[in-house]
Amino acid sequence: METVFISDLKPFLDTVAGQMDLYVPKKTGQGSRGAGSQHYVFVKYDQSGQAPVEFNNIRACMPVKEFLFPLRELAAVFPEPFEPEEIKPFALFGLKDCDLRSLECLDQVFLEKDFEDPFYIARREKMFIISSDCFKPGESCFCSVLDGKPYPDRGFDLNIAQVTDGYIIEIGSQKGKEFIDRNCELFTEPGDDALAQRDRIRADTAEQLEKNNVELKFDTPIRDMMTETYESDVYDIEAKTCVECQACTRVCPTCHCFYLYDTKQQDYFAKMKMWDSCMRLAYAQVAGGANPRKILGDRLRHRLMHKFVYFLDRYGLQMCIGCGRCVDAEAGDIDIRAVLKKLNEEFKNTKVAR
Amino acid sequence: MKPNLYQPINSKIVDIVDESPTIKSYIVVPEKEFKFETGQFVELTLPGEGEAPFTPSSSPTDTEKMEITIMKAGRVTGLLHQCKKGQKLGIRGPYGNGYPIEDFVGKEVYIVGGGVGLAPIRSLFLTLVNRIKDFKSVVCRYGARTPEDFIFKKTLFGSWQKITGVDMRLTVDEANGQWKGNVGVVTTILEPDDVEVKNAVAVVCGPPIMMKFTTLKLLEFGFAGKDIYLSMEKNMSCGFGKCGHCMIGKFYVCKDGPVFTYDQIKGYPKIWD
Repeated sequence: METVFISDLKPFLDTVAGQMDLYVPKKTGQGSRGAGSQHYVFVKYDQSGQAPVEFNNIRACMPVKEFLFPLRELAAVFPEPFEPEEIKPFALFGLKDCDLRSLECLDQVFLEKDFEDPFYIARREKMFIISSDCFKPGESCFCSVLDGKPYPDRGFDLNIAQVTDGYIIEIGSQKGKEFIDRNCELFTEPGDDALAQRDRIRADTAEQLEKNNVELKFDTPIRDMMTETYESDVYDIEAKTCVECQACTRVCPTCHCFYLYDTKQQDYFAKMKMWDSCMRLAYAQVAGGANPRKILGDRLRHRLMHKFVYFLDRYGLQMCIGCGRCVDAEAGDIDIRAVLKKLNEEFKNTKVAR
Repeated sequence: MKPNLYQPINSKIVDIVDESPTIKSYIVVPEKEFKFETGQFVELTLPGEGEAPFTPSSSPTDTEKMEITIMKAGRVTGLLHQCKKGQKLGIRGPYGNGYPIEDFVGKEVYIVGGGVGLAPIRSLFLTLVNRIKDFKSVVCRYGARTPEDFIFKKTLFGSWQKITGVDMRLTVDEANGQWKGNVGVVTTILEPDDVEVKNAVAVVCGPPIMMKFTTLKLLEFGFAGKDIYLSMEKNMSCGFGKCGHCMIGKFYVCKDGPVFTYDQIKGYPKIWD
């Protein structure tokens, strides 16, 4: 992939912000996982440049989905016609490989042929992705188990890696290439030393991730293991600490369930689209009262089966990318990694028993 | 912008038929052409109030207007029951698959319905009757809670009984003075020799408990799971396999259904709940 070099981030970000709305990660204190865990949110880039932009070591705690599929949006009006708000070009800086792979999942759903979601497309087309390499993985990061890496190799317009003397920028798309060409005065060629250093950081971070998650390296693919242990009571046991806060589905970058509801406005009626959560009791309930997942453990099972089995069977992708956001956000004590481990133990034991 | 999947077509209620104490049929005329196949469903919006899925009860060949038969079951259906002629509605769809009519050709079609489940079945029935010679026979078994709860009473007790090639039997859970027919749930009028199982398909639509026991009975009669067609009722909201509410395992009922063969879904627990 073609690369360029910058020694300072600010002129680069200023240039981006001069051409479109730019959102950058901002540290907001420590994450819930204690020392060493970072907590980033996206904020609009402040060009006056008082506070330097953080080069985030891991993904932000907010999922990218809210830039494409906001918490709540207007989906239709009566009577027609409906003029949706015009989406202006915008850029995100600091997305990680896990974020980009979450977009691959969302694209499957919202860009599905003949059923394209017009609002998602409008935003997706206007989004300029400036991703970056991870360093110092978070305690809850387990992307390496799910084919992820601490650095992106696809799905970005530009990707930035930090080295001692500056930043190496990889060009990942035509849109990215055009941006570089348009602003070529900002960039120089990266030196071999810088490239070598970047590769070393990448290898070290990948190794660190592998080491952190060695217990999650199973012999059997998760899909097969989970299908075999479908009836397991692990779900009921793990769900006992769930307080139904729905934070897991809110922060999950691939969870895309939504809910349509109708409202009255002053001079028109509106159909709204809002995020929903399959962990909610009435989620699957029908008007007659029937509900296939009245039990919390059944809802947890469905959520995880959807992530690792159903979505994979339907679209050929796992819908969990190992970002660990649900682990961090959890108000109860459900750790998706612990659930997988327990299921795998059970799977191994039943295999031996046979 | 791409066409908006979420935008309903403006429609109007032009007539309302009281079918039973809890069920009404609405004759709805959409402003734009609206075609569907029998068994597909639509999302009906009461503007400002809410939206719910229904399978039209009219024949797909009637493209001018559509009939939607609605039981008062929840908030939206309760509000729809208060609607008068002229009320504006929104319609989205049609969604999902219909009944695979061509696969039924040359066979006996064994239709078992319960309660408001007769609504989608009526659309199917009218479609089959329209070309009755293409099928070996159409055998209908239908149950309602009480005689008052039968819907489409006029045709059900009238013209439908007289169609050559149609064999119709009815039952009620609880009789009253006038009722001279069978008393008992619908499975009590299913007989092993109603159809020749080897050359028949079964279509089941009704409340979950009725579908469950009917399916078990049909399996007992020797029906293969692939020949039992079930109209599944789940919480279909978006209608095109995105919002997630109607999932049974990997299937979106709204997109992969609502008509499933028993074989397709039997592996998943709690399909009747």
